[in-house]
Amino acid sequence: MSGLESYINHTVSIITADGRNFIGTLKGFDQTINIIIDECHERVFSTTSGIEQIVLGLHIIRGDNIAVIGLIDDTIDSRLDLANIRGEPLGPVVH
Amino acid sequence: MLPLSLLKTAQSHPMLVELKNGETYNGHLVSCDSWMNINLRDVICTSKDGDRFWRMPECYIRGSTIKYLRIPDEVIDMVKEDAQAKSRNRAEMNKNRGGNSSQNQNQRAPRSGNRNNFGVRSGPSGGGLGNGGMRGGNAGQGNRPPAQGNKLRK
Repeated sequence: MSGLESYINHTVSIITADGRNFIGTLKGFDQTINIIIDECHERVFSTTSGIEQIVLGLHIIRGDNIAVIGLIDDTIDSRLDLANIRGEPLGPVVH
Repeated sequence: MLPLSLLKTAQSHPMLVELKNGETYNGHLVSCDSWMNINLRDVICTSKDGDRFWRMPECYIRGSTIKYLRIPDEVIDMVKEDAQAKSRNRAEMNKNRGGNSSQNQNQRAPRSGNRNNFGVRSGPSGGGLGNGGMRGGNAGQGNRPPAQGNKLRK
């Protein structure tokens, strides 16, 4: 069984090859790691202001473009003060 | 739920497709296949920097160039209905298959009948359609040897 099976219907963070970070509920995946992510939002990091959250909705992300899928602990995540977190945005994957 | 079943369910719905090169395509999904190749109708293409736009009546996008697709929220609920309908059908099929009733035998009878018909058509008569063509050729040139007739047919 793929390790992703246990992430289904849980909140995940997806880091894509272009360095973006998507947060949402994992609804499904296939053998090429194409994924369905529901209630998706993007977190945009910046060194000058807090994390900006952009609501996106239902997404299919193609497996080619996925670098990392991480399980999010909802209780810890809800304690984050996004407006006061600064950070360098990630760069794209270098081939 | 598989991403490609969701995509199939999204047919006729509007969607946004971002390609790996950063271009985005907004349009209605006409069709898709198992490689995620897609057909869109009434498309607006936006350049990577978002300051140039092109309208086109339709376009075809190779699946491997896609980064992600943004789909209307309600589509995910429609997949569930599809899956439920499918599993209901499957349950009914299993019920029929499991039963040892006369109804079951009736189901099998026509299928074997079809197989016999097929055998007759392609067997003794030497292939329905091809044979007809050869007969037509021979009618015009009666002294042509059969071997040449076969070559002509190919």
